[in-house]
Amino acid sequence: MTDERVKQVSKLRRAMIRPELGAICGTILVFALFLMIAGDSGMFAPEGIRNWTIVSAQFAIIAVGACLLMIAGEFDLSVGSMIGFAGIVIAILSVQWGWPVWLAIMVAFAVCIALGALNGFLVVKTGLPSFIVTLAFLYILRGMTIWLSILTTRKTIIGGVKDVAEGDWLAPVFGGTILKGLFQWFADIGLIDTFIRGTREGQPVVSGIPMLIIWALVLIIFGHWLLTKTKFGNWIFATGGDSQAARYVGVPVNRVKILMFMFTAFCACVFATAQVMEFGSAAADRGLLKEFEAIICVVIGGALLTGGYGSVIGAALGALVFGVVQQGLFFSGAESSLFRVFLGTILIMAVILNTYIRRMITGER
Amino acid sequence: MKKTLTALAAAVIAVGLIASPAVAEGERYVLISHAPDSDSWWNTIKNAIKLAGEQMDVTVEYRNPPTGDLADMARIVEQASATNPDGIIVSIADFDVLSGPIGSAVDKGIPVITINSGTQEQSLALGALMHVGQPEYDAGHGAGLKAKAAGASSFLCVNHYITNPASVERCQGFADALGVDLGSQMIDSGQDPSEIQNKVQAFLSANPDTGAVLTLGPTSAHPTLRALEEMGLSGEMFFGTFDLSSEIADGIKAGVIAFAIDQQPFLQGYLPVVILTNLTRYGVVPGNSINSGPGFVTKSNLALVEKYAGVYR
Amino acid sequence: MSTPIVDMRDVETIVDMRNIEKHFGPVIALAGVSFDVRAGECHCLLGDNGAGKSTFIKTMAGVHKPTSGEILFEGKTMSFDSPRDAMEAGVATVYQDLAMIPLMSVTRNFWMGREPEKKFGPFKVMDFKKANSVTMEEMKKMGINLREPDQAVGTLSGGERQTVAIARAVYFGAKVLILDEPTSALGVRQTSNVLATIDRVRKTGIGVVFITHNVRHAMAVGDRFTVLDRGKTLGTAKRGEITAEELQEMMAGGQELAKLEGSLGGTV
Repeated sequence: MTDERVKQVSKLRRAMIRPELGAICGTILVFALFLMIAGDSGMFAPEGIRNWTIVSAQFAIIAVGACLLMIAGEFDLSVGSMIGFAGIVIAILSVQWGWPVWLAIMVAFAVCIALGALNGFLVVKTGLPSFIVTLAFLYILRGMTIWLSILTTRKTIIGGVKDVAEGDWLAPVFGGTILKGLFQWFADIGLIDTFIRGTREGQPVVSGIPMLIIWALVLIIFGHWLLTKTKFGNWIFATGGDSQAARYVGVPVNRVKILMFMFTAFCACVFATAQVMEFGSAAADRGLLKEFEAIICVVIGGALLTGGYGSVIGAALGALVFGVVQQGLFFSGAESSLFRVFLGTILIMAVILNTYIRRMITGER
Repeated sequence: MKKTLTALAAAVIAVGLIASPAVAEGERYVLISHAPDSDSWWNTIKNAIKLAGEQMDVTVEYRNPPTGDLADMARIVEQASATNPDGIIVSIADFDVLSGPIGSAVDKGIPVITINSGTQEQSLALGALMHVGQPEYDAGHGAGLKAKAAGASSFLCVNHYITNPASVERCQGFADALGVDLGSQMIDSGQDPSEIQNKVQAFLSANPDTGAVLTLGPTSAHPTLRALEEMGLSGEMFFGTFDLSSEIADGIKAGVIAFAIDQQPFLQGYLPVVILTNLTRYGVVPGNSINSGPGFVTKSNLALVEKYAGVYR
Repeated sequence: MSTPIVDMRDVETIVDMRNIEKHFGPVIALAGVSFDVRAGECHCLLGDNGAGKSTFIKTMAGVHKPTSGEILFEGKTMSFDSPRDAMEAGVATVYQDLAMIPLMSVTRNFWMGREPEKKFGPFKVMDFKKANSVTMEEMKKMGINLREPDQAVGTLSGGERQTVAIARAVYFGAKVLILDEPTSALGVRQTSNVLATIDRVRKTGIGVVFITHNVRHAMAVGDRFTVLDRGKTLGTAKRGEITAEELQEMMAGGQELAKLEGSLGGTV
């Protein structure tokens, strides 16, 4: 007895109406816009492309974590502070205390995941909003980062990581570049410009694909697969959609939430490690405000702030939009302060569009 | 809904078109600083490059990381490099972080002049043409010597941008000149004026026999002036500051501030533009670095400074 | 009205609650309630708001532990430590707020917590083929033809959502199905659909406990009727032994309703 008032929906429309639709529209729009106004500024030359794909990849890494957590119904505002903290931990352990870099990296990951578990545990046990618990950690971790770095080195930037990372096996997994041979070939056949002086004369200006981008792709694929194809992914949706209902049918809601906090922390540590390896230093102010930027990517991607609905692909596209806009404004010659105006506008437009799409999918009144 | 979407898309495109400025026919240079949007000190340099651009008939763009995050700054340097400008002017806020991007720009054949933060040695190591700035440690040291001559043996250093290592250099130079170990006398004051004022008052209450105070710029100097006034200590201790502003000028006239160390940022903006333009057009470039400061501004040489405080001085 | 007499020995009793008392501190919510459910019957639990119906079925479903009294499940004494225990024993509850998540699809809701998996290399993924086909099949049995299994529960009407919840409970092997006020928020047509579903379910041998304060709905499907008032059972009647008016009077405690009836002219 299908209700005759429900229209038969065409197959094409059904394929199009998906949570990521808003983010897809946004991406196409943004690329079209920047192709128009910055097409010849070098933005779409190899160097320029590397520039905004790296920034987008950085956002994507933390957006995947934030997305899964938001779908599970919680926020993590301490991500930015965790980035700074992890970086300083790696730098202090490897540069100050002389530990091998691979060990320093592993310790940083262990510490971050433990902090994530702590966040999750507190949220679950006290029933306090995660907004508050992680806000507290935002301050605690940032303060500890500044204090620890001044305590051990009297400075707030700790450099010298590039030197100690020489020969380390784990460092290039985060900070290295792959497909170098392919890009050298591109340079030889003239597709990419080369350096004209110095020790790198003759080498392509873009030497390869940075590992950061590989990490982003791996995390995006993993997050998407976990969320949409597995049992655990169904539990994530259920936990955010109605945790009471989920508990009732036996979904281990607490375990899901804690694991998602740990995953977010893991993503933050990947970001931090890649950044430290790339710049050869850690600083106490790294990662400032990144948690909000991650949330913006996730919201542009179609997720519902109250949980239970969202898409990892959407969040990844949101990160792409964010990166292209942030870097593209520079290439187009616009005032850099316009970036914030632009971002706010895109955010509102994205939310309006996504709300409309969500209502079509879920039948909300 | 479709209409709304089309309208919104049109609006976005319109904003984009309005936002992109007309590109000048002449050469294009990019100046990249490390300062967050909230740091007003760089207004002088912004005005200086505008003046130089007009006089030399070139375009000079000013870029900075909005939050002062040096990682963002490195990205901006990479971007600037990717657009193949005629020259880049950049501050060496952190050698490790920026050596990659600046090195790449140099290796691509883009002329680079470093300014402000960083030392001449670092500038040379990066392959830049020269450094236009003020050696931080030496400036702090010079200030410390003046404080010692006035009889001070203890001090407070109000650091409002502690994440930049150059700031610590200034306090370190000051401490060494006084012959004191740098410890808790350097406070991380943050950037918020009321916070800074409160922290200064707290320190001075806890350490009533502080003999000298050094602030690192208008951001930390103005709240410190207010703090001293509230505590009735104006003029009681040796007060030196870096940089200038109209409030600092008033402080000098009133005898509260002994001197302001002027690194003459005007030169840090103006000179590189002129030098790079002449390099692009005629192939000439001076053979060494230029020290834009320190200039000590006191009551006796204040007049011209006052006239242009906050604009060119 | 007399307490239930065990005289229908050809029908097995699934759950037997004897003299259940529940105290919350000084408040006595249940003061000795006896209730049993047999296979294939629909036993209606009636009572006005505040009579203790909610507390009682929560005790049956394992949410509360009785302060005193016995629970027998299939003849054996049972003590449920959590709703999970009760569910595993075969006591399924469909609460008023449904435990359906509107943002998720019917399939995902149906299989929540018990998702079927299949191997994909070294990994386990959800077996959507099986999940979808079973869901469509079970819904069809209940009389709902879904457009597609991906349909979000939010696109279904209230009555259809109830039906999904009931179908889920039945599919996963419920022996006793407790329905907490399923029709209270529904319109006429949807109510009749739900009542038809209850009838269907009962015929498969499951015992249904139908909680409601609407006598007419109860009379439409019930085999037995028990009235609860202020924490005590007032009595149990079989179908045919009692009229709607008598039931209504028992629920309301008699006097006030009579006065109200008078002024409303028998329309209540």
